[in-house]
Amino acid sequence: MTAATALKSSMNEANERDPFNNNSYGTLVDQGYKLVNLPVLDVNDFNERIIRGYEEGWGERDLPADLTVARSLIPAGTATLRDFSNISPEIPEYIPENCTGCMDCVTECPDTAILGKVLGEDELEQKLQTITDVADREMYRKLWSKTKKYYDAGKKKHGQGGMFQIIIDPSKCKGCAECVTVCDDDALKMIVKTDKVMTDARKSHRIFKSIGPSNNKYISDSLLIDMMLKEQTHIYVGGAGSCAGCGEGTALRMLCSATGSKFGDQWALVAATGCNTVYTSTYPYNPYLVPWTNSLFENAPADAIGVRMRWDQMGWQNKPIWCIGGDGAMFDIGFQALSRLFASGMNIKVFVLDTQVYSNTGGQASTSTFTGQNTKMSVHGKTFGGKQERRKEIAQIAMMHPRTYVAQTTCAHVNHFYKAVLGALEFDGPAIVVCYTTCQPEHGVADNMAGDQARLAVDSRAFPILIYDPRKGEKVKERLSLQGNPAVKDDWFKNPKSNEEVSFIDFARSEGRFAKHFDKDGNPSETLLWAKQERLENWRLLQELAGLR
Amino acid sequence: MSAPLATHDYTPDGLDAVLEFLKRTRNELRALRRVRVWPDHIHIIDVNKDYFEIRSLGYGDADVVPVLRNINTAFNPQTIHDPVTAQYKEFDTGRRHPWAEDRVM
Repeated sequence: MTAATALKSSMNEANERDPFNNNSYGTLVDQGYKLVNLPVLDVNDFNERIIRGYEEGWGERDLPADLTVARSLIPAGTATLRDFSNISPEIPEYIPENCTGCMDCVTECPDTAILGKVLGEDELEQKLQTITDVADREMYRKLWSKTKKYYDAGKKKHGQGGMFQIIIDPSKCKGCAECVTVCDDDALKMIVKTDKVMTDARKSHRIFKSIGPSNNKYISDSLLIDMMLKEQTHIYVGGAGSCAGCGEGTALRMLCSATGSKFGDQWALVAATGCNTVYTSTYPYNPYLVPWTNSLFENAPADAIGVRMRWDQMGWQNKPIWCIGGDGAMFDIGFQALSRLFASGMNIKVFVLDTQVYSNTGGQASTSTFTGQNTKMSVHGKTFGGKQERRKEIAQIAMMHPRTYVAQTTCAHVNHFYKAVLGALEFDGPAIVVCYTTCQPEHGVADNMAGDQARLAVDSRAFPILIYDPRKGEKVKERLSLQGNPAVKDDWFKNPKSNEEVSFIDFARSEGRFAKHFDKDGNPSETLLWAKQERLENWRLLQELAGLR
Repeated sequence: MSAPLATHDYTPDGLDAVLEFLKRTRNELRALRRVRVWPDHIHIIDVNKDYFEIRSLGYGDADVVPVLRNINTAFNPQTIHDPVTAQYKEFDTGRRHPWAEDRVM
């Protein structure tokens, strides 16, 4: 640390640029730096010197190329020190009187920027009394709500109701409005960032982190969606460099939460190069609180096998390893390594961020790309209408490997997602969870549409959800469950409001990547009609395998 | 729902006036979320559930097609005019141009 930086307050404390200390370690409660016992990485030096350099804007120019910088090692959770306060003109506002405590907003936020807490009425009052500024205390008091879920049920069960609060972290919110979109109760709305709005948001978030954790007696372990009320589930902190509303960000957060709920921070990630590695390791920012490594695009499963073998030698058999990658890495370039991983029978879990396109490199077609999709390398033109091949189904291929747990899910199907991930973790062998993730710029949808489009992908049979658990029986139909898909025995789901079938054409109509398939009268192209038939054939195959046909 | 942020009364042959109304007032809404179309009026709804109302224009009218296209609605022009038993028809509006869609490598 230089003499100049030594005189300044710590990056984990309030300072001139961050007067309310919103950019600080700990998601629900304040914490210190996550130190490591390694001679090659001094966390204090890294955060105080290197992070400070980047936050103050002189890092790239003036940091010396010393061993710490040259090694490119990044400590855990440094992204929490990153400030995104000024990248969006709007921020969500919480309306407590409308809130039901459903936790959808907290769960679906891609940036760990909307957080929940529940406290008993008396303990909340005690904590409020510690706020010396009366105006701040009353401002903060108004942000708590009495919900049926925590207050009424808590009163019945514990004699005293639980007060529930949602808070926005203004330093991490990118203004995508996904939280407002998933809120069915009008408890959130987007408002313009004014000085007062931001000061109140910063103060509220500061108090929120200072008053301690939720009272666990109000959190039901059987309600999976409540897991993010516990600090140990926030393994993916805010501050990653993903796009506003990124569907992958939500998927990784939920994956980390589910794994953290069972294993704390005693597990690791092996990532294949792709968007996910770029926005989670843009030097010097790292959102993960668990060990993470990135080798090459094509060999993450092989890398994970190596880590697993070493961990097993060290007696760490019970620590899970997630191998993550996009569809490019897992369907295409790393496919042989993935198949080898399944055949090995090793206890490694694979998580696929399926955006149906190489998002990171500008949107080239992968084998996961839908028929007709307009991508670079399958450009929609006069001769060919987008991609002319069928989509590869990695889930079906994985099912045919020896004793492999397989799931296909989306973040919009929260219970299904968590069950899929927890099931994979419980399984004593290889597992794969394929997750549909919206890529706003490549799919051609608005920033707030990740959840809506994931749900429509399932409703329209574009992306059926499934769980295949080899422990469930000897026959494929006993192992494969299509539960969670609408109208599971029918070809197409019918929208109950309009009584019209929801097909792949409707899905395509809602996204820019298929826009060129519709003529001026709105008629779909031949290619798109074929894509619809192809999706139906895929759905019927799944129905047959599940014993529904 | 509360009162609309802005309203417009459609008259026959008044398509240009509707489009001008949308162009002039569009910035009073945030990112559009969905459109509800009744037989005799339309609600254009944003993420905050604030909305505009266009009166005397419904799904049976020919001019509903260019209006819905103007706000990027995901609807089927072949069936938009068909009667339904439900109170209204509802469509999403979140479609955008994909990144660099016209760039050929």
